[in-house]
Amino acid sequence: MAQPAGLLYSKEHEWVKLDGDVATVGITDYAQASLGDIVYVELPRLGATLEQFNSIGVVESVKAVSDIFTPVGGEVIAINDAIESDPALVNREPFGGGWFYKVKLGDVSQTGELMSPEQYDRLISET
Amino acid sequence: MNDASGALRRTALYDAHLALGARMVPFGGFEMPVQYTSILAEHDAVRKRAGLFDLSHMGQFELHGRDVGEWAETLTVNRVANMKPGQARYNIFTNERGGAHDDVIFYRISDDDWLLVVNASNADAMWRVVSAARSGDVRLTNLHGERALIAIQGPRASALLQPYVEADLAALRYYACTLSRVREARDPILIARTGYTGEDGFELFLSNDEAVGAWDLLLAENRAHGLTACGLGARDVLRLEAGMPLYGHELDENITPLQAGLAWAIKFDKPAFVGRDALAAQRDAGDYTRIVGVTMEGRAPARAGYAVFASGERAGEVRSGSWGPSVAKNIATALVAPSAAAEGTPLEIEIRGARHPAVTVPLPFYRRPKN
Repeated sequence: MAQPAGLLYSKEHEWVKLDGDVATVGITDYAQASLGDIVYVELPRLGATLEQFNSIGVVESVKAVSDIFTPVGGEVIAINDAIESDPALVNREPFGGGWFYKVKLGDVSQTGELMSPEQYDRLISET
Repeated sequence: MNDASGALRRTALYDAHLALGARMVPFGGFEMPVQYTSILAEHDAVRKRAGLFDLSHMGQFELHGRDVGEWAETLTVNRVANMKPGQARYNIFTNERGGAHDDVIFYRISDDDWLLVVNASNADAMWRVVSAARSGDVRLTNLHGERALIAIQGPRASALLQPYVEADLAALRYYACTLSRVREARDPILIARTGYTGEDGFELFLSNDEAVGAWDLLLAENRAHGLTACGLGARDVLRLEAGMPLYGHELDENITPLQAGLAWAIKFDKPAFVGRDALAAQRDAGDYTRIVGVTMEGRAPARAGYAVFASGERAGEVRSGSWGPSVAKNIATALVAPSAAAEGTPLEIEIRGARHPAVTVPLPFYRRPKN
């Protein structure tokens, strides 16, 4: 299963899309399929400062609560209101309408810690 | 439970679950399907059409003898001896403190032949309980894992099952059971109009070697009519909506049937049963913590173990919690102080350090429409 190109990936199954120094964050298709029906996403507050790889929220399926480990650090400049009223959007469009939040990166070099689509594909095919 | 090596057991339908793409999880010592496609889709199938469940992990004990009814009365809160052949009845085995060893169903097949179905997670402990208490003309056979149990549940269950069954299902009342010939089985099997979903439905007790054929046939011929394989994930949401207790959550060795809201099943006028005095004392004192329904106002689900507050004070603990699709709210049960138990009491549930508004509501959350 090929992963969308042009994105970076974390081993915690989040994706990052870079646009200059702004990073959009979501969870991968693999993650949403593993979680099952998503019923709630607790996102960081607008304006919060996140530290890379910290637990900054949760995503809840019918049966389970899972931490969101932010793949990038920086200031939260947007959150996706649409998934508050329709959490299943994350199941339907994990790489699109189901994005979580946007971060203004303090330090763009931190994305060096993330994986390419090919590397992430290898990770999930091994698990 | 697990055998000495800790290995999980498999039901006769294990390969059928894998073929359907099920996600398997350990439950009660067995590898069981938690979902095939989606818990919400499977839940929807049972509420609107019909679902097929493998419940072969549940404990099945055969009880034989003239004294089974009287004997079982001494160990449980509900009546047993006055059951007629063809009746099924919910019951609870209690300890001396009135706490629950297990909640169970007795099926009286004939005068001297009974089936007792216990929870998978309690099957070993319950076998010890009944074996240690055996007396008089009571013979016990442990069939745990050796005979299959398939449930078909949902508004279409009766119509979909009838073509395979000789018995007239329309004549089989809720909590009745009968031996009937069925397609795909050599000998008549026990069919009961029982379930754990809040919908109409049936449970079929059949041999392990005939279970696979029956499962495959039912699914293959009825998929087009909406019959859907359903896992334990959907089952848990369905039973929670229907206000049915799950052992380990709403009932356990320290939560009595009185606390669980099951007073209707306790027959205090029986001469004696284990835990009777403790239950009577609890009833008379009246100040016991009790299981209530809770709905959340927000989107964050309450989960088992979360703290419950009323008027700013700690009032209890969430025991089960989930998104409730049938009511489009987050629903939960909580064990709370009597002061927080009245319908409409404003509550707060602590979720990851923040308190979220909730309210005490009557159980069940969902009642199927009467037809």
